[in-house]
Amino acid sequence: MELSARDLPARFDREEWREEVERLDERSASRIQAERARREIERDKTVLDFEKCEIDGEEGTNLLGCVKQYVPLGRQGASDAPFGFVFQLAQNPDGSFVWNFIAFGERHPGNPATRTVYERAHKRLHGRYP
Amino acid sequence: MAIAVKKLDLHVGELVEIEGRRYEVVPDKTGGLTIEPPITPISELYEKRGMKPASAEDFERIAGDLPTDGEG
Repeated sequence: MELSARDLPARFDREEWREEVERLDERSASRIQAERARREIERDKTVLDFEKCEIDGEEGTNLLGCVKQYVPLGRQGASDAPFGFVFQLAQNPDGSFVWNFIAFGERHPGNPATRTVYERAHKRLHGRYP
Repeated sequence: MAIAVKKLDLHVGELVEIEGRRYEVVPDKTGGLTIEPPITPISELYEKRGMKPASAEDFERIAGDLPTDGEG
């Protein structure tokens, strides 16, 4: 049977979650939205509405093998969904596939010094910012 | 009383510890340097867990028909 993106579970591992979400103030809108979206995804994976990430993104990012999920879930525009999760398609030791969470952050930060979620994902994949 | 300036010889990729917390030296977006909590490379995390990234062929087979919006 052919697998589709929606058939696979999303996994939020401890280290990635701590570095991406728990770095944020507990009362910040971004952290509250991330925690809510994770609860919704873990309760029902059909809420996922992935889009493929770019190999040649706006800031020079290369996110081959990754998808993104805008946050809050169910919204698209940058003002309605200002944050995003990035997941990488990965294989477990038993060969099964999983969407492994690798980054969370703002899509279009108001502060130009803030890294976008795509830049954070690129750094996790490649070890440096683009 | 003037505050003494500590001059640090730091380079991109180095780790520093301040009051028990670790930070990585990274480039800022204006040609300078800044420090931020480190982002552990996914290769290190996968190695500990016995995981690996899916191949490009598997990604295309599973996610090839997903849309993209050109954002990132």
